[in-house]
Amino acid sequence: MESGKMASPKSMPKDAQMMAQILKDMGITEYEPRVINQMLEFAFRYVTTILDDAKIYSSHAKKATVDADDVRLAIQCRADQSFTSPPPRDFLLDIARQRNQTPLPLIKPYSGPRLPPDRYCLTAPNYRLKSLQKKASTPAGRITVPRLSVGSVSSRPSTPTLGTPTPQTMSVSTKVGTPMSLTGQRFTVQMPASQSPAVKASIPATSAVQNVLINPSLIGSKNILITTNMVSQNTTNESSNVLKRKRDDDDDDDDDDDDYDNL
Amino acid sequence: MAALAEEQTEVAVKLEPEGPPTLLPPQAGDGAGEGGSGAPNNGPNGGVGSVAVEDQPDVSAVLSAYNQQGDPTMYEEYYSGLKHFIECSLDCHRAELSQLFYPLFVHMYLELVYNQHENEAKSFFEKFHGDQECYYQDDLRVLSSLTKKEHMKGNETMLDFRTSKFVLRISRDSYQLLKRHLQEKQNNQIWNIVQEHLYIDIFDGMPRSKQQIDAMVGSLAGEAKREANKSKVFFGLLKEPEIEVPLDDEDEEGENEEGKPKKKKPKKDSIGSKSKKQDPNAPPQNRIPLPELKDSDKLDKIMNMKETTKRVRLGPDCLPSICFYTFLNAYQGLTAVDVTDDSSLIAGGFADSTVRVWSVTPKKLRSVKQASDLSLIDKESDDVLERIMDEKTASELKILYGHSGPVYGASFSPDRNYLLSSSEDGTVRLWSLQTFTCLVGYKGHNYPVWDTQFSPYGYYFVSGGHDRVARLWATDHYQPLRIFAGHLADVNCTRFHPNSNYVATGSADRTVRLWDVLNGNCVRIFTGHKGPIHSLTFSPNGRFLATGATDGRVLLWDIGHGLMVGELKGHTDTVCSLRFSRDGEILASGSMDNTVRLWDAIKAFEDLETDDFTTATGHINLPENSQELLLGTYMTKSTPVVHLHFTRRNLVLAAGAYSPQ
Repeated sequence: MESGKMASPKSMPKDAQMMAQILKDMGITEYEPRVINQMLEFAFRYVTTILDDAKIYSSHAKKATVDADDVRLAIQCRADQSFTSPPPRDFLLDIARQRNQTPLPLIKPYSGPRLPPDRYCLTAPNYRLKSLQKKASTPAGRITVPRLSVGSVSSRPSTPTLGTPTPQTMSVSTKVGTPMSLTGQRFTVQMPASQSPAVKASIPATSAVQNVLINPSLIGSKNILITTNMVSQNTTNESSNVLKRKRDDDDDDDDDDDDYDNL
Repeated sequence: MAALAEEQTEVAVKLEPEGPPTLLPPQAGDGAGEGGSGAPNNGPNGGVGSVAVEDQPDVSAVLSAYNQQGDPTMYEEYYSGLKHFIECSLDCHRAELSQLFYPLFVHMYLELVYNQHENEAKSFFEKFHGDQECYYQDDLRVLSSLTKKEHMKGNETMLDFRTSKFVLRISRDSYQLLKRHLQEKQNNQIWNIVQEHLYIDIFDGMPRSKQQIDAMVGSLAGEAKREANKSKVFFGLLKEPEIEVPLDDEDEEGENEEGKPKKKKPKKDSIGSKSKKQDPNAPPQNRIPLPELKDSDKLDKIMNMKETTKRVRLGPDCLPSICFYTFLNAYQGLTAVDVTDDSSLIAGGFADSTVRVWSVTPKKLRSVKQASDLSLIDKESDDVLERIMDEKTASELKILYGHSGPVYGASFSPDRNYLLSSSEDGTVRLWSLQTFTCLVGYKGHNYPVWDTQFSPYGYYFVSGGHDRVARLWATDHYQPLRIFAGHLADVNCTRFHPNSNYVATGSADRTVRLWDVLNGNCVRIFTGHKGPIHSLTFSPNGRFLATGATDGRVLLWDIGHGLMVGELKGHTDTVCSLRFSRDGEILASGSMDNTVRLWDAIKAFEDLETDDFTTATGHINLPENSQELLLGTYMTKSTPVVHLHFTRRNLVLAAGAYSPQ
């Protein structure tokens, strides 16, 4: 992108002209026109950050105006945070000397893929299957099961948004209109990994919502909020997404505590 | 170029505050202000014993050595006086003594700036910066933006310039002349600077000509001291292990690939083990621990040998064909390319932080089956390696996500199981090419990592980055095994020697250093480039090194003697890729000027003058033979050549991203 494509220097605002001049002084002749805008934005942001900080320091010191010392202090503090530079040379030489003293470790033969200990690798699964029932043994494939807990009728009309409930649950869902029946219900819905948490009206019929188990529970007239958990983004998840049934008595008592309102 | 731009931004924008107050205020006309004042000064990070990254005490100590030693207004006179003296000296001495100009200029300017004589500094700069050599202009531009004392504290390069003495090589006669002149004058200002900041490597013999000097100077710290290039380097190749290859009379392939010995006496692997004697220049086999050969490696070697027999012998009358792989729609985002040794896979690292792997052959890329499926296959079958692959995942392209910044370096492992990628996010990632997932992230550099490479035997890899060091890692250690520190600016390029015992690094400080893997020492320093170095390659016989930089020249170095042996001029822009042919007959260079050039390597390396004088003094007489050595120039359609690769049969593969202008 040649500089000829820029706005002609006369029609540029003064600070853009100044920035172009700075670039020229530093020997940069070829750049996209947007670079000037980016540099100006950066300069503006930097200066305002510094001056804001300086104002804070000055008011902390109960001074009437912001003076050079405040600005200097602001610059110093910011520089330590954002403009870090690589370590100085003597420090590097020092650690290099220490590191280079140890002899090279011998290589163990026949050790398969030579990788660091597992905690330093990225090979561990970064998701955890929640075990749903004591009877059925948890299968080897692990998936997170997001949970929907039903909210009070006043807050959300729930069941119609859950996608295709199985016939088994259909009957239950029709009863959902009344608060009383709502409270006894608890069901989980399987969300496919790629879907956004905006569940309310967007569950496609072809989603992995397969089974909704409504549990007459001991909870009574408690109001439970419909929420969904985010499914972990693990892309190796695409196989074996079978919904697990959930019994209420298996639930931890802290189920009600996971009130994330992700909807 | 990235490194330089970074430097400039740093300097232009950073408004460094004053650090901890120096103990001695600058005193005009006092010659005593030495560096000792800064030492007991503890910085904001606490005690002197702390190994804090920001070594404020050291910085002040370093900079306070610039304390006032002379009258600021006289600096211009001192400098002009010296200039006059040198210009009036004899022709033979003038070229050598002119080397003094640049370091003296910089040090005097920095002294003025440090002592806050801004106006004098400015006028000093104005008056004399035009006299300096053209190849220092970039540095001078950076220097021109350092006008205040606060600016100096943050600029690492300038600090390094100050702490490492600038090395000059001057003959004894010229040196005596200079010394006499400086000492007989009353003001010893310049003599003080010379003694403190410069290292003058004196040699006995004829003074060098301007041409010889120009060939060797240009780096940020002057030239290399002669002792730096004196240690013994084992540049020979390791002996190839003996693999029994079945004799097949008719060149049939695919038959006895397992190398089962037949009834006839099998032919032993004859590459490299022609003589039973140990090559005196080769390192002992167990100098550094290397992984043992697995069965799959032996099979690879057998395939390699078979391909070798079909290899085309190249020469000036038999040039290789070049097959160019153009990356379309990369929108200037292609930042790294690598090709496997058997030329079956190409990996591209992109500015959008992805790494993409393509299959060059019709065979598609497959990933391994899931664990549950793997337990079902028959492990004893012959084609078990085929069966573990999942057909459903076959595709020509695999995209690897994981980095959080542009990917600047890529390297396949020799056994094609792993891929390394280094990125601006400071990590080097190891990817498995069987599952196409990321296995490990090696954190150590906290700054962009510009290049990485696997060792020719696998297991080790080297990475170099913005923090001015190169690190040697092993795949099974999460911390580096060796740290190669010594460069004054970013390490742009890192390459292993074919025998895996040495690592070459090319840097933005315009030097190339050769490091010993065994103990981390720097065994060679090569100066001569006038711009940051972007490409390095070793010759297949391990004796020579070719380097390319932004000045468009390719320089050839003899590793054993530590000398420059050739200069190939022709490219008009940065040389960003270099590769020798498989037997070392041709050197291919690819550049940002959209061309690939082929050079005659055999001719470039023959009849080297390595007599005693040359070896002792490190002086060379380079013949101007670039035109004869150039065998061909091949233009692309506005595609910079980012990577070059010779297949096992000596076909050239080149890669680049089409960037229409």
